[in-house]
Amino acid sequence: MIIIKKWEDIASTVCSFWVSLTLTGKIGLAILVLTAVMALFAPHLAVHSPFTASDETLQPPGNGHLLGTDNMGVDIWAQICYGARISLYLGFATALLAGLGGSIIGIAAGYWGGTVERVILRFIDIMLVLPRLPMIIFTAAFFGSSLENIIIVLAAFNWPGPARLVRGQVISLREQGYIIVAKSYGASFWYMLRKHLIPELAPIMLVSMVRLASRGIVAEAGLAFLGLGDPTSKSWGMMIYYATNFKGIYFTPFWQWWLLYPWLAITILVVGFALLGRDLERSTDPRLRYMVSK
Amino acid sequence: MFATRRFRLLDYLVTIVVILTINFMVPRLMPGDPFLLVSAEAGEEFAVLSERQREYFMSYYGLDKPLHQQYLIYLQSLARGDLGHSIQYREEVTVIIARALPWTIFLVLSATLLSTLLGIIFAVISAWHRGKTRDNLLLVGLVSISEIPGFLLGLSFLLLFSVYLGWFPLAGASTPFVRFDSLLGKLIDIIHYAFLPIIVLTLSRVSGSYLLVRNTLILVLTKDYMKTARAKGLPERVIRYRHAMRNALLPLVNRIALQFGGLVGGAVLIENVFAYPGLGSLMAGAALARDYNLLQGILLVLAVGVLLANFMADLVSRRLDPRIR
Repeated sequence: MIIIKKWEDIASTVCSFWVSLTLTGKIGLAILVLTAVMALFAPHLAVHSPFTASDETLQPPGNGHLLGTDNMGVDIWAQICYGARISLYLGFATALLAGLGGSIIGIAAGYWGGTVERVILRFIDIMLVLPRLPMIIFTAAFFGSSLENIIIVLAAFNWPGPARLVRGQVISLREQGYIIVAKSYGASFWYMLRKHLIPELAPIMLVSMVRLASRGIVAEAGLAFLGLGDPTSKSWGMMIYYATNFKGIYFTPFWQWWLLYPWLAITILVVGFALLGRDLERSTDPRLRYMVSK
Repeated sequence: MFATRRFRLLDYLVTIVVILTINFMVPRLMPGDPFLLVSAEAGEEFAVLSERQREYFMSYYGLDKPLHQQYLIYLQSLARGDLGHSIQYREEVTVIIARALPWTIFLVLSATLLSTLLGIIFAVISAWHRGKTRDNLLLVGLVSISEIPGFLLGLSFLLLFSVYLGWFPLAGASTPFVRFDSLLGKLIDIIHYAFLPIIVLTLSRVSGSYLLVRNTLILVLTKDYMKTARAKGLPERVIRYRHAMRNALLPLVNRIALQFGGLVGGAVLIENVFAYPGLGSLMAGAALARDYNLLQGILLVLAVGVLLANFMADLVSRRLDPRIR
């Protein structure tokens, strides 16, 4: 009985979430879900292997290869399906690390105030002024190009954004009546966090994480394009790297499948994240919360 | 929405110290032997050094001194304008950067100017026809284009306009081995090569200024003093540009300052897409070759450049802000 109730709850939350999105938001979510499906069912969707040659090199689409083959004879459709795994893994890992880490720092800054807040705020401002991508390139060049290292580097330079947003929200929260009352009754920090702060901050954190995931995927593609990606991962960025570094790629027709499809995959995924993110922003804008109509 | 971030001089100095420290620490935090990279020949992975050779090199590069001493030496050489020696190009880093810097400045300044101008123009059109088709089209169009990351947009433009249509060149900043008779000819050539990178950089940033100015204009247009101005019989153009635009100017300058770091980052990637010989391409090459003197130099120049731009924008916004007079 209890189990059935839980499923109903989950289903109804999902349905109300779906309904609350606008058309563009729905498109965004659909793109993400499709990518996830592609990633999960990659072994079933892709007939050929993404790691070994399965045919002649540089075949155009057709003939058993949905999107053609690359310069090693590896099927491109298979690479894209398996690359979806890397992209989603990367996006979510970065979003989690930078989002949670940044949120914690933001909460610390907003809740405790005083010198802690001033120091953190200055640090955030400094990191936001500096050009992010050159610093990421600089650090990635030294810390090496495994996927995990890239995730850490990306998280290290993307946490100030969420930290700032969360801090702003915490500041406006701590003036709320019920928070002050709870504190005066002796509520511990963990209690406040669990019962009051996190539920209020969750929408902003969600929106931040969507944007972070998108940024992480683009940044990894950019790093891979420059040659700083993880060569063992079959990410879409690495496909673009190999394609653009192929001598004469622009004077031959090969770019029309080898370069085009990974580019299309990344662009569609990023647009999906952007559409969803915009919609979430719209529906979780704290300014709208106090409007009468809904 | 964000409070205008006013940096005092102290903040700028602190930021510069942070950059210098990062610049100094990152190569030294690198896992593995620094000499793996410094002395390896091209194509080889390792250089095997005997103990005595290691000691010699360590003392030669000053890597055996305590860390704070190395830091002081680093600062001293910076003060002298010595950014070190590039292993890739076997030249002074300052010379190499000086060759590439003008191209990057050209791209970045043109894109900033163009994106702000276009943003203003489109915003004026949008605000004046707000709610109608023109506004909606512009809104959806510009916002969608800005959602696509700059480097992906750049790749698509390269493929469409340079590769498929052949209208623009594939690489470089000007036609090699050609001497032009007139300055105009040379200028046209340079613009021909820089056209796509600048357009892509502009498009990826234009929605920022567009939305800002559009929203400010829409807000201002409904205010009472606009009705007074019209009632006074002022010509439409005066109303538009003098009253309404004034209000948008301050947030616009702030926005340019905030965005500048991102613009420079975008320029780095786009230069690589179009093989434009600015600091971006230089940086990518240095990263691949692990030429860390050059990398440090480029990062320093880029960071200081962004800080300078922010500083100037701060000065300008201080003068413009009627609250601080």
